[in-house]
Amino acid sequence: MELSLQDCLDGVGISLLSEWDVLIFVYRHKASLISADQIARLIGYPSRIVNDVLDRLEREGLIERSRPSHGAHFYRILTSMDSGRWLCLRQLISLSEGRAGRLRLAERLKAPLSDSGRKEQAS
Amino acid sequence: MAKDGLIKTGIKGLDSILLGGIPRSNVILVQGVTGSGKTLMGSEFVYRGVVQYNEPGLIVVFETNPDKLIRDAAGFGWNLDELQQQKKLQIIFTSPQVFDQELRSPDSLLLETAKEMGAQRIFVDGVGLLNTNLVDSNFVHRTYRELLQQLIESLSRENLAAMFSLEIGKAHASIAAAESIDFLADTVIQLGRERHGRRIHRSVEILKSRGQDFEGGEHTMQVTGGWGLEIFRRVQAPLPAKSMQPTSSIMRSVIGVEAVDTLIGGGIFDGSTTMVVGVSGVGKTVLGTQILREGALRQKTRGLLISLDEHPAQIVRNAQTMGLNLEEQVADGTIQILFESPQELDIDKHYARIVQIIEEHDIQRMVIDGMTSYSTAIGEIGVYRDFFHAMVAYSKQRLMTTFFNYENPEFLGISSYMPDFPVSSIVDNLILLSLVEINNSLHRCISVVKSRGSKHSFDTREFVIGQGGISLVPLQQNLVPTLPLQSYSSLLSRAPTRFSVPTRTNNGAAVKDNK
Repeated sequence: MELSLQDCLDGVGISLLSEWDVLIFVYRHKASLISADQIARLIGYPSRIVNDVLDRLEREGLIERSRPSHGAHFYRILTSMDSGRWLCLRQLISLSEGRAGRLRLAERLKAPLSDSGRKEQAS
Repeated sequence: MAKDGLIKTGIKGLDSILLGGIPRSNVILVQGVTGSGKTLMGSEFVYRGVVQYNEPGLIVVFETNPDKLIRDAAGFGWNLDELQQQKKLQIIFTSPQVFDQELRSPDSLLLETAKEMGAQRIFVDGVGLLNTNLVDSNFVHRTYRELLQQLIESLSRENLAAMFSLEIGKAHASIAAAESIDFLADTVIQLGRERHGRRIHRSVEILKSRGQDFEGGEHTMQVTGGWGLEIFRRVQAPLPAKSMQPTSSIMRSVIGVEAVDTLIGGGIFDGSTTMVVGVSGVGKTVLGTQILREGALRQKTRGLLISLDEHPAQIVRNAQTMGLNLEEQVADGTIQILFESPQELDIDKHYARIVQIIEEHDIQRMVIDGMTSYSTAIGEIGVYRDFFHAMVAYSKQRLMTTFFNYENPEFLGISSYMPDFPVSSIVDNLILLSLVEINNSLHRCISVVKSRGSKHSFDTREFVIGQGGISLVPLQQNLVPTLPLQSYSSLLSRAPTRFSVPTRTNNGAAVKDNK
């Protein structure tokens, strides 16, 4: 069954665009052996935001992070998440593969980001 | 891994030109320009290791998105995702800095992963990017060469069969980088992507490989959908010694075509090569078809007809109109027909296909119809000659009887057999088919100009094409309405002249006979 965009976002537990961008980076790179700073540079976010988002995604059980090695970690999508959540994630990934979908996601995720997020990014 | 200490790449055709594989401890560098297939070769090296030799492997990328690597690999039928789930393959996206640290670190996550999955192969895509990482974690400045030495030392210590890719040809810096790693790597494979006319030609060349011999020179590489890379050895490369066979025999085979057998002295040596030269429409294709059919029917030899001009269906149909039914032989495989379009003909690939058919079907008699189309399709005279020499050499090694048809462009008289390049020293037999104008009609003639080791006839004989193919016109029942051919000279010049036989008058004076 096709879920609504908001249902999917809720199902995955994503509310900020920065969370989505970091999550999709980890998903697309499968197994990234990299530092948070390098992820930040690649996706164009401040390091502090990416560090916070990685912490949150790990706590939420969306990604797994290995022990550190010279500041780098292995980052992977946690495939052992429950099937409902995985379905939502797959649907969001599928949506984000097109330009229109990406714009819809960005639009939807912007709103919660409005105040705190803009301040974060400005800092 | 092979028992002889060679690691097989598993890439179709590559191990053959590497004479079996690459010494296990060699560090392999694949270098080339953008789009030459470096990432594909490295990925296939790891993929084939997993699926063909049960050797798990790592692919390390700095710039390529692993998602796209997996997507592109799916186009070749490789399910990299599944192999990752099975822990036989791991694609790792990292930065040059982290990779450098990881290889030199005792508690490296990368090496830990390699150990956990039992990795035996590693491909590092874009080793030139390490050139930007010349200050190590202790802020000690190194040269690029030192960095590479450290990298190679680390991988050697781990006993990982390593392949690196390096993009070349962009800037001076990358040339310097290429020079460093060229020297440090044990095996250097150069990939090329050049324009030939308006088409793209991919090539592969082994520049060096320590501790082994290999087939040098530029071989053809092809990216094949649903499979991956295919390497075709250059046609003129000498064949491996294992396939050597006697190159001559005292055994003569009756060709089964009266016109040829009669003139050539009763048959032709097995393993000999024959060039049939003639203008368009003189009957070269008919003779070739007849030779193969007779071989299949009466000599029980398996034949191959190669054409760049006509589709198999058209060849069979045309033969049928001459009463030469090929359908049965084609259906049961005793005669194979290979047609390839001359457009964008890749000669190395074509040659490999011919060899494959010959070996699969144990072909003993082959007709190439005709060489002129090759000349046009290949374009480069050097490559054309290479192909011809390779075909002759291969035919002789297999003791295969081969006929090459060549369309001579000179309708009125022949100043050379093959204007493209001299051939008389290469082939064993030379048969000339000519059109001769007598009165207002054209007649077909056959001459055996050369037949090595045979007492052949030097007579030029008239032949006709009818049901069953070519047959000689009997000398006693000459169909020429005026005089028999023996009454003419200069037949080969295609300007026959009647003899003037001197006779004598009653008083003994010579007068000209005006018959």
